[in-house]
Amino acid sequence: MLNVLLVDDDNEFTDVAANIIEFLGHHVSVAANLKEAYEWLDSQPFEHILLDFMLPDGSGLHLVDHLKKIQSKAQVTFITGHPSVKGILAEISGPQMDYLVKPLQREDIEGVLSKQPKIKPQAKTSSIKRHFGCLIGESAPMQELYLMIERVAKTSANVMLMGSSGVGKEVVATAIHKASQVKGQLVTTNCGALSKELIGSELFGHEKGAFTGAVAKKEGVFERAEDGTLFLDEVTEMPIDMQPNLLRVLESKKVIKVGGTKEIPVNCRVVSASNRTMESIATDKVLREDIYFRLAVFPIHIPSLRERKEDIPLLAKAFLEELNTENGCEYVWTDAQLERLSNFDWPGNVRELRHSVHRAFIMSDPKGKEIQLPHTFESPFSLTKKQNNNVTAGQTIENVEKELIRITLEKVEGNKTAAAEMLGISTKTLYNRLHAYGDFAE
Amino acid sequence: MSSDEDQSVNQLVHDARSPLNRISMNAELIKLILENDMPKEKGIQAIDKIINACQECSDTLQVLSAQHGNQ
Repeated sequence: MLNVLLVDDDNEFTDVAANIIEFLGHHVSVAANLKEAYEWLDSQPFEHILLDFMLPDGSGLHLVDHLKKIQSKAQVTFITGHPSVKGILAEISGPQMDYLVKPLQREDIEGVLSKQPKIKPQAKTSSIKRHFGCLIGESAPMQELYLMIERVAKTSANVMLMGSSGVGKEVVATAIHKASQVKGQLVTTNCGALSKELIGSELFGHEKGAFTGAVAKKEGVFERAEDGTLFLDEVTEMPIDMQPNLLRVLESKKVIKVGGTKEIPVNCRVVSASNRTMESIATDKVLREDIYFRLAVFPIHIPSLRERKEDIPLLAKAFLEELNTENGCEYVWTDAQLERLSNFDWPGNVRELRHSVHRAFIMSDPKGKEIQLPHTFESPFSLTKKQNNNVTAGQTIENVEKELIRITLEKVEGNKTAAAEMLGISTKTLYNRLHAYGDFAE
Repeated sequence: MSSDEDQSVNQLVHDARSPLNRISMNAELIKLILENDMPKEKGIQAIDKIINACQECSDTLQVLSAQHGNQ
């Protein structure tokens, strides 16, 4: 018996479909829109989701994003009545995703539900512990982080997450939300992605007709996160003249919709995040002091991957395990590969590591079991950083070349064949240069 | 046919698929009721829903026909 969530705004269809699904021996819950679906997903796990593509409050794809965020392993079947959507769905569907076109028959539903589930092998093989259901790492800095999450989860204090880009601030926000065991949902918004004109409506909602284009009343994120957690990502990128409005909500715990007059009480923990340093927040005047003290009642610094190198093999194994499960593969790491991953600096942190693992996965021989790591993990960002540090006007070409050879050799741990390949010259030329510079003579 | 007209036809076809979907699913339910000797009231309710959906589907087709001058 499967636990099935049916999401469709056609009530008559959901009534009859629910009857048929129950007849087939499954347990079914029904949601008429995304909001109701999120509530169901917060309250219980589902093995299969039958999902309409177009819903009154958004697209079915929003729900797929949400499932990824909460790391749900549910199988998803899109149901659409729009023939033009069929092509898009065919492209995105994979082992975890399927699609059906209306009108449906019993066999269609029976067929997709009987494909269940590809999840079990992972549950059996996964030996990697996910703290709070989402955080991976057993290093001392992570243990300290877990302790902080555990402690703050018992309170209702607002939390500010700090750490460089890619450390996993949203995952930590999810962990705090899960550990808090609150009734409401986790609502995420990126303050840096919203224009000055839209941010008020996004945070506080708006009344119908409040401005051109406000065709209907809208709930803001504070209201949507009622009794739950509101995650304000990139909070330091919020326009400074909007910050007094946010401060008023944080102090009074009441919102007034744009174009409205009524005060609406709100109750949620605010977790905010910034990739700026404490110094930058203070000196660049990106956040008002009063707002900072309201948001950062409990500041948490998330360690960079450089500070917890011992977690790299664990993370690499977990990412590969996820990709193996999604694609039905059985790739494994060798010890040497894990060591190479551990020796790299990962300036883009966990995000960059995940990206590199994914790239290696795609590049690997489909017939083999061994994953194929690239010669270099450099991303455009890490290269730019290095170049900026080392090349300045006025340097001689000889000096720059010498420095380039030095850092390349450092990167490949002195392996001259790999260094020559990376530099695009023959090994003989590399030896000649090294001989000429003298400094690198063995 | 202009792209606006194209879009309008697509929308109407989509609107016609919803009642067709209900017809199909209610027919499946009736089959299950008959196969499992379930109370006939439930079957009658499903038949009523099919009749209503047929009417809805016919209305949508009428709009489609009117919009393209083939009445």
